[in-house]
Amino acid sequence: MIFRLFLTYLKIGTFTIGGGYVMLALIQREVVDRRHWLDEKEFLNMIALAQAAPGLIAVNSAIFIAWRVSKNEVHAHQRLYSALCVAAAVLGAVLPSIVIILLIAMCFTQYKSLPVIESIFKGIRPAVVALIAATVIRLARKI
Amino acid sequence: MIYLQLFLSFFKIGILGFGGGMAIISLVQNEVELHGWMTPEEFIDIVAISQVTPGPVGMNVATYVGYTAAGTVWGSLLASFAIVLPSLIIMGVICYLYERIRSRWSQNRYFQVCMRIIRFLVVLLIAHAAYRLMTPETFIDWRSWLIFAVDAICTLLPELQKNKATNLLSHPILLIVLAGIVGWLIY
Repeated sequence: MIFRLFLTYLKIGTFTIGGGYVMLALIQREVVDRRHWLDEKEFLNMIALAQAAPGLIAVNSAIFIAWRVSKNEVHAHQRLYSALCVAAAVLGAVLPSIVIILLIAMCFTQYKSLPVIESIFKGIRPAVVALIAATVIRLARKI
Repeated sequence: MIYLQLFLSFFKIGILGFGGGMAIISLVQNEVELHGWMTPEEFIDIVAISQVTPGPVGMNVATYVGYTAAGTVWGSLLASFAIVLPSLIIMGVICYLYERIRSRWSQNRYFQVCMRIIRFLVVLLIAHAAYRLMTPETFIDWRSWLIFAVDAICTLLPELQKNKATNLLSHPILLIVLAGIVGWLIY
């Protein structure tokens, strides 16, 4: 189970691009529809808690789901088992980020001064601001 | 010294980071400006890369800023660990409480009001992040504003439709890649 949690969250961490609703849909598919670790109602509770608590929503959801799943099995050292489940899920969720970003960070600093890269980023910068501004409008309608 | 700064900054962000990725970006921006780890343009490039690469945006930003600020792999590992640590502690407490009171908390009126206020503050925080990124270096001419307007409208398209169906044009990855191609062609 510990290894399965790690693999599931490794998958969620790898295919979460841009965050937000894409990620929640992915977690729902993996955790509710495929693995049946939680039902829909508890999934909604999980989202509320993971969003209400400070920190990254992906990491918070990994902690909550791993903890819930660890209660489904009875072990002699229940606390230790739960802790290992949580650690495995969190590690799976953050590992793709760390590996991919480190690779990019090491290469990007070398190619940054190329004029092509600079002009591509001149186009990307206002687009990033637009995405953040649009998020404000979308969320403001759901307060 | 830089490692201690990184750990404290990202631990603080982990505690105060309500609302996930986008809201956390604004907190990271604060720390970056406070300690002078990089220029605003470097930071906005990191945000862009974090959004088009796999993984939660907040985690990508933490890893990247940690690496850039310290210049070593240890800096990025430390920043990543520091931002997750408060989550582990706080979610641990929440899981424990959840077991105690189960679904009852969601019916509590005071709790609902508190959550509404928190959601409002989160939206304000994200708006502030967007506002502070609107620098003259980012918006160099009218073409930048055109890219901004087109992307904002495309992202909001699903909101304008009645069924709120997500269409391909509003996909953030596609929009960022397209903006990169446009930049490459016109600048």
